[in-house]
Amino acid sequence: MIGGLFCYNHKGEVLISRVFRDDIGRNAVDAFRVNIIHARQQVRSPVTNIARTSFFHIKRSNLWLAAVTKQNVNASMVFEFLLKVVEIFQNYFGKISEENVKNNFVLIYELLDEIVDFGYPQNTDSGILKTFITQQGVKSATKEEQAAITSQVTGQIGWRKEGIKYRRNELFLDVMEYVNLLMSPQGQVLSAHVAGKIQMKSYLSGMPECKFGINDKIAMDSKGKPAEESKTKSAIAIDDCQFHQCVKLSKFESEHAISFIPPDGENELMRYRTTKDISLPFRVIPLVREVGRAKLEVKVVVKSNFKPSLLAQKIEIRIPTPLNTSGVQLICMKGKAKYKASENAIVWKIKRMGGMKESQISAEIELLTTDTKKKWTRPPISMNFEVPFAPSGFKVRYLKVFEPKLNYSDHDVIKWVRYIGRSGLYETRC
Amino acid sequence: MPAVRGDGMRGLAVFISDIRNCKSKEAEIKRINKELANIRSKFKGDKTLDGYQKKKYVCKLLFIFLLGHDIDFGQIEAVNLLSSNKYTEKQIGYLFISVLISGNSELIQLIVQSIKNDLASRNPVHVSLALQCIANIGSKDMAEAFGQEIPKLLVSGDTLDVVKQSAALCLLRLFRTDPSVIPSGEWTSRIVHLLNDQHMGVVTAAASLIDALVKKNPEEYKGCISLAVSRLSRIVTSSYTDFQDYTYYFVPAPWLSVKLLRLLQNYPPPEDPGVRGRLSECLETILNKAQEPPKSKKIQHSNAKNAVLFEAISLIIHNDSEPNLLVRACNQLGQFLSHRETNLRYLALESMCILATSEFSHEAVKKHQETVINALKTERDVSVRQRAVDLLYAMCDKSNAEEIVLEMLAYLETADYSIREEMVLKVAILAEKYATDYKWYVDVILNLIRLAGDYVSEEVWYRVIQIVINRDDVQGYAAKTVFEALQAQACHENMVKVGGYILGEFGNLIAGDARSSPAVQLQLLHSKFHLCSSMTRALLLSTYVKFVNLFPEIKSHVEEIFVADSNLRSADAELQQRASEYLALSKLTSLDVLATVLEEMPPFPEKESSGLLNLLKKKRPGRVIENPDRLDEHVKKEPRETNGTSGLTLASNTEQEGGSADLLGLGVPSAGNGNGPTTNGAGAVTNNIQKFYCKNNGVLYENDIIQIGVKTECRSNLARLALFYGNKTNHPFMNFQPNVSASPALSLAILLQVKQVDSTVEAGAQFQQMVNVECVNDFDEQPDLNLVYNYNGAPQTVNIKLPISINKFIEPTEMNGEAFFSRWKNLSLPAQESQKIFKAAHPMEATDSTKAKLIGYGFQLLENIDPNPDNYVCAGIIHTRSLQIGCLLRLEPNKQAQMYRLTTRSSVEAVSQHITSVLCETLNLPFNNQVE
Repeated sequence: MIGGLFCYNHKGEVLISRVFRDDIGRNAVDAFRVNIIHARQQVRSPVTNIARTSFFHIKRSNLWLAAVTKQNVNASMVFEFLLKVVEIFQNYFGKISEENVKNNFVLIYELLDEIVDFGYPQNTDSGILKTFITQQGVKSATKEEQAAITSQVTGQIGWRKEGIKYRRNELFLDVMEYVNLLMSPQGQVLSAHVAGKIQMKSYLSGMPECKFGINDKIAMDSKGKPAEESKTKSAIAIDDCQFHQCVKLSKFESEHAISFIPPDGENELMRYRTTKDISLPFRVIPLVREVGRAKLEVKVVVKSNFKPSLLAQKIEIRIPTPLNTSGVQLICMKGKAKYKASENAIVWKIKRMGGMKESQISAEIELLTTDTKKKWTRPPISMNFEVPFAPSGFKVRYLKVFEPKLNYSDHDVIKWVRYIGRSGLYETRC
Repeated sequence: MPAVRGDGMRGLAVFISDIRNCKSKEAEIKRINKELANIRSKFKGDKTLDGYQKKKYVCKLLFIFLLGHDIDFGQIEAVNLLSSNKYTEKQIGYLFISVLISGNSELIQLIVQSIKNDLASRNPVHVSLALQCIANIGSKDMAEAFGQEIPKLLVSGDTLDVVKQSAALCLLRLFRTDPSVIPSGEWTSRIVHLLNDQHMGVVTAAASLIDALVKKNPEEYKGCISLAVSRLSRIVTSSYTDFQDYTYYFVPAPWLSVKLLRLLQNYPPPEDPGVRGRLSECLETILNKAQEPPKSKKIQHSNAKNAVLFEAISLIIHNDSEPNLLVRACNQLGQFLSHRETNLRYLALESMCILATSEFSHEAVKKHQETVINALKTERDVSVRQRAVDLLYAMCDKSNAEEIVLEMLAYLETADYSIREEMVLKVAILAEKYATDYKWYVDVILNLIRLAGDYVSEEVWYRVIQIVINRDDVQGYAAKTVFEALQAQACHENMVKVGGYILGEFGNLIAGDARSSPAVQLQLLHSKFHLCSSMTRALLLSTYVKFVNLFPEIKSHVEEIFVADSNLRSADAELQQRASEYLALSKLTSLDVLATVLEEMPPFPEKESSGLLNLLKKKRPGRVIENPDRLDEHVKKEPRETNGTSGLTLASNTEQEGGSADLLGLGVPSAGNGNGPTTNGAGAVTNNIQKFYCKNNGVLYENDIIQIGVKTECRSNLARLALFYGNKTNHPFMNFQPNVSASPALSLAILLQVKQVDSTVEAGAQFQQMVNVECVNDFDEQPDLNLVYNYNGAPQTVNIKLPISINKFIEPTEMNGEAFFSRWKNLSLPAQESQKIFKAAHPMEATDSTKAKLIGYGFQLLENIDPNPDNYVCAGIIHTRSLQIGCLLRLEPNKQAQMYRLTTRSSVEAVSQHITSVLCETLNLPFNNQVE
């Protein structure tokens, strides 16, 4: 039961304030500002309790979004709701910024009225919201349309309305993965995991039923396939996964088949996490040598470790520098490198890089002698990149579409699958 | 910094405005990181920076530091700036250093050198900067490095006044960190003579310094009194036009006057009549000037004037010697009592509280009683009301007690919650102290409970019960009054407690009246029973069982109550136990037994309600204004029941510690009752060694398990100690080994002879051990008693001192005045005399106890030989094997200051010192009736 929702700009001025329950007074708005936004020390916990009132906040590009309650609510529910709110806002007016919030505040209040009722979150699916909260001028719906909306929102398949028609039936699947890594200076993997999600865009007519196959170990074993096939590399172990509400969970549990009626437009179908057999796209080899008290020599080698035919993009390596750096000289073979004093780091950017290649940078860092005895803690070197494959080995095996009522079959649907691997927290200690 | 155009630092201004414009914390940190990197590269760069750039970057670092970021470089550059000749650069350098340099920096040597150079500089501005920096750092290092030079600078003839001023303040700062920095001897008079300096600024700075020095070493700086007085009189008598720069809104040098007045408060009133006269004149002038019409309407004018006036009044109070000044001060304060300004009213009330304690002005303060009571009622500010209550408490005496208590009670109803508890205590204390009629006292306290029951602490109602029980004449009245009070619909739980207790004891006194027949009493009390806490219920159960004894006719009703499930089967163990025990008791047929067990409580030992006073002190540490002790001897000492004192009985409760005797022997559920003594003996431990300086017999040590008593007999240089060991438990002590020993030094001075004892002490038994002592030489230690035994299988040890001290060998000597003073003069070598001045911990009027202590200590008290009848004069001879040591003593009380001066002279130096120190402590111990 969320008592209220507030939105502040970076100065702590209130942009949006919506109170859902009576137990939240006006002073709660100030309490959050004084105790969190303007706190002497930075508040790191996302949940704060002030005078028996709990505040849950997230920050998005200089805006603070805070949910308030006096009850003992499920915190993860509140955060899920806040993230949904952000997603809805983005779907309605793009990037979240002070400017955009100010320009759309009537819309925002309208949305808030719709997605929360007396503090209880309601339907937060932006696809459905868009059917009755529009940004175009006022257009009163006809009785039939209203009835259709009511029956859809309250019906069994609340995420899709009937009677959708497309000339071309198309389906897009994006497999997006984030690789997280922590590696020791000697090249030992200390921790690695992949967080993945499947983004789906469907432009299909009618009420099609889809079946989706992936190379998950359990799913493949349960199919009673011969043992040798599941022994091959193609099967992966998924640690945990979650689905969009349209997936029939009973069927997944009994038959390990993913079957669903897709919502129209863009949606996140599935999320998963794997920790085993991750193919790391890059290897970073750092070499740090301290030459006396006034100088430091750093050499970093980056090796790409995937098929030579593939091309990695947007590569950025960030090498932290000591706090008493007074000057930096850089030499790199490829890309551009720069010492950014404001961030205390050397940033090395490479636009493109093929598989099985390597590149290196060497830096001479001059130091100023200071009177502190504290030694430099050597923070890890971090890296950003984008590669056109799934580092976890995830594969879409098939996707079948059945629409018995309309006259198109699985073969007539045009399907696209794309794999994107990105860096999460990809760090190597030095 | 003088903002000279063209001298400002553009880069710094830009940087600061950048930071101010940052939208978020992250942006600010980024900007700072960038700037730090820039400064680092500039400092690292090979080309040398000019002074301006250095100054600019150091300034930026300082700004970043003040924003809360760590700065770990730039010190060298700052130190370089010190050697610059430009004022601004030097100033920034010093600023950075005083803010950022930590005491143990390696650069401290360099800095010290720079400061030295500047101190020696011809330019007074540089010297001032250096002094400022020393004071700002103010570390021990600085004190060591410059402790020598600054005093020179301070008294040197060719130092400028401005520099002298800085030097005095700098020296004060260093003195606070390291008191040894001020050289003594020749410097003393030169520093003191700064008070005579022509420049008022120097005098003001020096006054602060001297004030601090005087606090440390009053004797050495005694010379400042006359100088301060003459300086003060020059200021006071001058007209405001004489001190052009130092006149503040027509008041001549107010700060200096206040400082001088404060300085004088460190000393007793000056002895030299000339100085004294001059000081009185000054004070009188200040009081006169305060009466003059104001020269300006500005608030600053009256503030300055009043500041001087209040400081003068506190000096008058401190001196406490001039009755007419005190009375005048009091009258002037009286005018402020109804002043428009709240602060003035507060200050006036506060000062008057102190005035009320002086015997000269007490009467004068009393004249303002009406105004104060009025202030209590109408004042808006609670802190002022608080002061008014304090003042009423302080001005209360026998003549106005009744009225003041009445007013305070009336006010209590509307009083602020924060001061209620304190007021309740004050009313209780005053009512008891000045009660002439005990009926009145009982009325007051019952009213108190009725009005502010929540704030009545246990001590207060314990006390009223103690008094009622001890005074036969009020018992009937008290019973009647509480009965009436209990008839109120809602009455406070404390009232129920008092009512229950008193009716239980004296309900029979009002039982004759049909309206308060036994059955009615019981019914009335029981109607409150269910609304009370279990503590009160327990007390009420005791009352009921007493009713069984008092009124046999209602026995059946009482038994019904006991049998009730809520009592006999109560979840509270205490209630259950009482109900069942009392029930069994009441069922006993023998009336004799019942009457004996449930007899009226014996009277409580009489004593002052010191418990209440202590409570008051605890509540407001440090700012309790005493009600002056003009107590009439209204509490007649009743003969105390003495226990048969042959030897020592284990049961004899020799001391009742603290003020609040637990009069609810029944009322308070005692914790570990019935569990037997705890085996580790960690319970209450009494060690009375201190008291044995003045007495020979008594309990030396006591804990849960064991009690050790002592009986001492002395004859010339021989003493015999009988040690009594008592086993308080149900188990025997095994392996019991008392071990008496003396330290190596002590064993040369006394010879100990100890009798052996059995190694077992039976349960509950007591036995005696003899120790013979012979005094060979004088000594100042005490032998050790080391006791080891097994109790219940666990080893126990007791380590205490034996009460043998040199005074046990004093033989009291009678002599006449002439003989005493001739001997006194013979012993006039400094080594033979030992003197101590100390604050009296007890009322000085209690001469009997002091006398008893001195006699108990072993001296002969020589009465009527000293010209001052208040002084105590004693004589005695200490017998040792080798020689006899004559010993003379004078104790001079100073009633105004509440101080004693104790002087001891004897032919042996160590003896006089020992006796002085021991007697100082002993005289401050609470007096104990049992000195023999």
